[in-house]
Amino acid sequence: MIFRAVEDPDLIRKARRGDVEAYNLLISRWEKRVYNYLLRIVGDREDALDLSQDVFLKAYQNLRKLDDPARFAPWLFRIAHNEAFSSFRKRRPEGETVPQSDFAGDDIPANVSPAFPIELSIAVTTALGKLHADQREAVILKIYQGFKFEEMAEILSCPVSTVKSRLYTALDVLKTQLAPAKSRGVT
Amino acid sequence: MSCSPFDLRDYLFDELAEEKRRQVDQHVRSCGGCHEELERLRITHSTLLTLREEEVPQRIGFVSDKVFEPSGLRRVWQTFWNSSAKLGFASAAMVSVALLLFTFFRQAPAMSSGVPVYTSRIEAQVAARVSAAVEKAVTESETRQSGKTAALLAAAEQRFERQRETDMLNVRQSFEVLQKHYNVRENLIARYEPPREMK
Repeated sequence: MIFRAVEDPDLIRKARRGDVEAYNLLISRWEKRVYNYLLRIVGDREDALDLSQDVFLKAYQNLRKLDDPARFAPWLFRIAHNEAFSSFRKRRPEGETVPQSDFAGDDIPANVSPAFPIELSIAVTTALGKLHADQREAVILKIYQGFKFEEMAEILSCPVSTVKSRLYTALDVLKTQLAPAKSRGVT
Repeated sequence: MSCSPFDLRDYLFDELAEEKRRQVDQHVRSCGGCHEELERLRITHSTLLTLREEEVPQRIGFVSDKVFEPSGLRRVWQTFWNSSAKLGFASAAMVSVALLLFTFFRQAPAMSSGVPVYTSRIEAQVAARVSAAVEKAVTESETRQSGKTAALLAAAEQRFERQRETDMLNVRQSFEVLQKHYNVRENLIARYEPPREMK
């Protein structure tokens, strides 16, 4: 008998056949990443949790549409991206479009608990908040979620060149913003 | 501005192939400016990573409730509609069946208004020619048959005449023989003399 670890595609196949426990196991593997991604997008724990539940419910309902189980991660984050921006649209007054600067500047998530020195965390949060929404999401997907450029393009539904442009513009801003903070807080 | 052969940010995010990474490694070792730029990028990257992930405040999970689960038939139906390959195959099969039905059961194409008149004229001509041909064939056949009958009758009459002549000849010969027998008898009777003892 050969033992091997149960991988995501195994759980996806079981979940497709209606095995809810297999899907719950799959959720337990991804909920932290999805929750933190949404938390950094929407800046509110409760909203992030509600959206996470919506994301996993929608993913379960559409699991049979996933052609390649190996591409589960970008597919799941594509749903999360859509849910996050859909919730922002719902919050806006009717007829008003969502401005790209909606996430930046004054709407800094203030209630994210710091794990490192408070000054450094505030500096990072502030620097991320000053980014354009698209740029900030590119930083989150690349630096905090570790996606490849092709996967980011799939999640954001745009060309790889656009993804790189957003990320590198953000990186230039962050490099300038965080250089003094690094010298103050981290060796 | 970096003079590296490839983008240092691609190098930092591990988006370069192995060969390109080696070239950047060699360049950074010998180029102070690019070395400093790469260090700044690494510091920024590590600073951003100080913002750690949070734990999910409440575990996300679902329970299985048979009431809300789709039936087996519905699941098959959803699977069918959610699969573009299966839908494509079904569409191709339907088109094939439609083509087959059309091929085997289609009616003759409708003719224009002038065509039936032309057709009826042709049909009348064909019918007339067929009738003439049949009449001619019947006449020829009857002629041939009557000729044969006449020849047979003539041959039979000849045979009958020959037979009659032969019979008449035989009758005549028989009559002559009888006549001779009668004459002989008459002669014998006339020349007969009864014996003397009887007188």
